[in-house]
Order: sequence, then C-alpha cells, then structure tokens
Amino acid sequence: MTPIRKFEKPLGMRDSFPLINEKKEEVRDVGRRFFQSRGFDFIKTPTVEYYETIGKASAIPDSSLFKLVDRQGETLVLRPDMTTPIVRVATSKLLKEQIPLRLAYFANVFRAQEHEGGRPAEFEQMGVELIGDDSVYADAEMIITASEFVQELGIDSYRLTVGHAGLLQSILTQLTQSEEQVKELRKLLVEKNMVGFEDAVRTFGLSNEDEQSSIEFIGQASNVQSIQQLRPFIDETNDAQVTMFSYLNDLSSILENAGLSKMITYDLTLTSEMSYYTGMLFEVFASGSGFAIGNGGRYDGLLQAFNSEVGATGFGLRVDRLLEVMTTTTTCEPHTLIFFDSANYAKAVVDAAELRNQGIRTTIQYKESVEDQQAFQSNFSDVVWLIEGDGNNE
Amino acid sequence: MSELTIAMPKGRIFEEAYVLLQKAGFKLPDDLEDSRKLIVEVPNERIRFILAKPMDVPVYVEHGVADIGIAGKDVLLEQKRSVHELLDLKISQCYIATAGLPNTIMNDIAPRVATKYPEIASNFYKEKGEQVEIIGLNGSIELAPMIGLADRIVDIVSTGRTLKENGLVEYEHIVDVTSRLIANPVSYRLKSERIRDMVKRLKDSME
Repeated sequence: MTPIRKFEKPLGMRDSFPLINEKKEEVRDVGRRFFQSRGFDFIKTPTVEYYETIGKASAIPDSSLFKLVDRQGETLVLRPDMTTPIVRVATSKLLKEQIPLRLAYFANVFRAQEHEGGRPAEFEQMGVELIGDDSVYADAEMIITASEFVQELGIDSYRLTVGHAGLLQSILTQLTQSEEQVKELRKLLVEKNMVGFEDAVRTFGLSNEDEQSSIEFIGQASNVQSIQQLRPFIDETNDAQVTMFSYLNDLSSILENAGLSKMITYDLTLTSEMSYYTGMLFEVFASGSGFAIGNGGRYDGLLQAFNSEVGATGFGLRVDRLLEVMTTTTTCEPHTLIFFDSANYAKAVVDAAELRNQGIRTTIQYKESVEDQQAFQSNFSDVVWLIEGDGNNE
Repeated sequence: MSELTIAMPKGRIFEEAYVLLQKAGFKLPDDLEDSRKLIVEVPNERIRFILAKPMDVPVYVEHGVADIGIAGKDVLLEQKRSVHELLDLKISQCYIATAGLPNTIMNDIAPRVATKYPEIASNFYKEKGEQVEIIGLNGSIELAPMIGLADRIVDIVSTGRTLKENGLVEYEHIVDVTSRLIANPVSYRLKSERIRDMVKRLKDSME
C-alpha cells in the first residue's frame, strides 16, 4: 500500500467543483419546481440507517453497501437508495395521515467503492414515489412525469423502455418446469444475456414447443413499438396473464394519449436485479451516457416487507448521468468586481450594495491582497476601481 | 442511419469476425490498408471500428464509447461487465481447462493455481468445494507448474499443443469459449434498429 497523499479522497468519492455544483443545483431547482407543481412534496431522510431494516430491504446487494457499527454494536448502512427509507417513513407514519401519498427527493446515496473509474461511490438521485395507489393511472403518472422531467431539462434524445415484472414471471413459469429454471432465466435476462438464455433453455429438456416459444420470446418480445406485437406471447387461457396484459394495454393507451409513443418501446423481457418490482417497470436512456439515466416501476413487494398492503410506484434518476447527457449551456452571468483600498472600503460596501440591489452579482476585494491582478480580474465580466488617485470609474 | 462504433479485438479474432460481417452483407473493404491504425472508418456503411486488446473490448462497450463489440466468452466470464450478450458468433472456438504436470495431485495445505483468469479460476474451485490460492500471471502460464510456482494452471486451450509441448496434461474442462457479439445497454435501445439488423444478418449468414 502506498501511503495516502494529502490530495487524495477515498476511492470512488468526487468533489463537485463550483461549475458542476451549479449545474447540479440547477437540476435540483428545476426538479423542485417541476415535481412540486405536480403535487409532490419533498422529503429528507437520514444518511445513515439500520442494516437490519433498510440495508436488507433495499434491493442493493449486500456487497455494495457501506457498513458501519454504532456504539450499541448495531450495524448501520449509508443509505444505498432513497426508495427504501421513504417506504419506511411512509408505512410507519405518513400513510396514516394521507393516502395516496406523493413524495419527492433529491439526495446523495452510497454504493460500495469499486476500483474502476466511472462508478462513483456516492452520487445524487432525484425521483418521486407515489404510495397508496395501485391503479394504472399511478403507473402512467410515473412514466409521464419521468419523461416530461427529462424533457424539461432539455434532453431530447431520450427513450423509455417499459416492461412488466409480473407478466414476465408468469410467462417464464409457464414455459419452464421449475422455480429454479425461472430464477436462472430471470438472472440471464437481467444481464440481457441472449446467448446464455438460449443455451439454458436448451439444457432444460423442455418440450420442443416450449423450447421454441422460449427462444421466440427472447428474440421477439423485446424492443417492440406497439403493445399488440406482444399479444402472441400471452396465453389466452391464463387469466392472470390476460389481466396483466390488458393492464399493459391500458397503460399503453394512456401513454399514447400523452404523446409519448415515439419515446417508448415495450420489452416484455425487461427485468431488474431489484427483486421488489412486481408490476410495470421502466428504464430511461439518453444518448451521451453509456449507462441508463434512471429507472422506476411498481414495487408493491417492498411495501409488504414493511408490513403494508398498499401499492406503490415511483422512479429515480441519477443526477450525475443527467449532467452527462444535458447540453451544456455556459451562460455567462454578469459578475462585477470592485477593487478597493483602505481609504475606499466604506464606498465599496455602499456601491456593492447598490449593484446587488440591481441584481448584479458583485464581489468586493481588497486590492493589496491580490498578487496577480490580471488573472484574478479575468474571472469577472466587469471591474470597478475604488483606488486613491485612480480616477477611472469614480 | 446512425453511426455504429464497433470495438474489435486485434489479431486473429478480428480477421474471422471481419469475414463474418462481410458474409452478412456489410460492404467492407477487403483489406484494411494500415494495420497499425486504431480507428478505422467505413463511411459507406456508417461503421467505425476501434481496434482494442481482446481483454479491453468489454470495457469500451460497457462505458458506451463503442456501441457493440466482439469479445471472447472467457473475457466476459472473467470481467462480469454489464453488457448485453446478443449472439454467439461461433468463431475462435476453444475452452478453458485446468492443467498441470502429469500424475500430480494438488498440495494439501496451500494448493496454488496460476492463471490469467483469477475470477474464473476461483469460481471453478469454489464450485468444486476447494479453497485454492490464485496467482495472477499475464502470459506463458505453462511455465508456472514447470518451475514449481503452482500445482495447476487455469488457461485457455485451443488445440492442446502448447500444453503437450511443455509436458503438461489437461485435468478438468471448465467451460467452452467462443466469440460473442456484445452491446452497450443504452446503444441497444437508442440504436436498436441498426443493432437488431446486424444481429439478424449475422444470424442468417451463419445458418
């Protein structure tokens, strides 16, 4: 181990320099206004939670959790996501006051450090949760809100992929012979390992017909424009499947009416390592980032882990990746610098107050403290000299 | 038509994969003039090849600087990167196996395994219920048992000639390896038409 140098930060941690920080704040501001205008209330929860509750219930794998031990010997985690803490607050308190509940958040979350770059151990997430509504309108609201928020940020080249965890589970169960096989196929689908899926299906020893349908399913049920293209994969004699499919159908027509058809593709093979998704789920992609910028879905399963029977749906977007895909508009805000000497301090304060009143960002700086005047000045759009014997700008 | 960036492994796999793409109807020049170029553009097909070390192909694809790539299953198993594995190209067929000096057993106290696939090797022995010590090497793995660095090696075998020439024998077959077409998850959605078209054409031409 090389000794830690003074400039080093723990692996995976990042500083937000002023420029990036401003951009993040901008996203936060836009988000605050946007989500509030749609009836969501912002909430904050502690950075540290119990491993027993939040750590275990969250779908983040154990090996990705930051763990600490408190004085009582309890294991704590740095929150790995925001959905689980919000469900904790909602089920223990807020739902008793209002239901359905619309909550929003902008918060940093933590994932265990990785050695390779491009995977921060701490990053901001912004998202919303709608708890206590299990209708198709709630799910549609999530997709529409996510989509319009991304548009609001000026990101045009984005796409949403929508699937259904319950329907996938049912189709896989029907095609295979055991719980284990379903599990294995689901795992392969999380990685979208088409080759592995086909190989696995061939080793299961299914009937020829099931084997063929499985392979057709993986080949054709992903990336379709219209929900009708998925109908062949639905077993009309299976009531549960028919119900879930007609649910997707309703969802699709709401989204179509919202003018989102062009942005959305359907993928019945879409699944997530988040095992608590029970119904509709979706992912958001945009050009400019090699990773999905966000995802969401219905997670009634998580509520059950907190002994609540109500339904819940939501989504979260990764702020770091949003920044990657947002078009950078470097608006140079006017910023005035007032250089003063000891004789003119009082005047500098008065002048600065005047300028700030006009809404101009103003910095006052004692001239003698600045070594390289030219370099310092170059950070400002306007410079005022309040220096004895210097007649400029008086 | 959007531009497609394809990460290709340098060397033998490149040539095989290139022929496959030509067979699938992509109009690619017969010989790429300068073999030391790292980026090769094929404007009429809107394709750009980047030539990388085989082990690095999934890195470029995972980070999305390449939309798709061609990578050996060995590399995919070793690195576990989040890329979509779309098609088995069935080229560069070989397998990963354990090997060692003939008629030897593993050291009881601290069995040592030399390999350039630490992940695959340790998973294999874990599955077998054996705890081994892994020694990472970058090449000429066959040396390790010959000079007493390790009891076994885990390495890629295509013909078995290298093993034989160095007096080693194969012990266990771990997994078959072929080259796969992989895709970045975002490109898979945003450039789905092009990628699916390529998968289909490759599939058809392979049959």
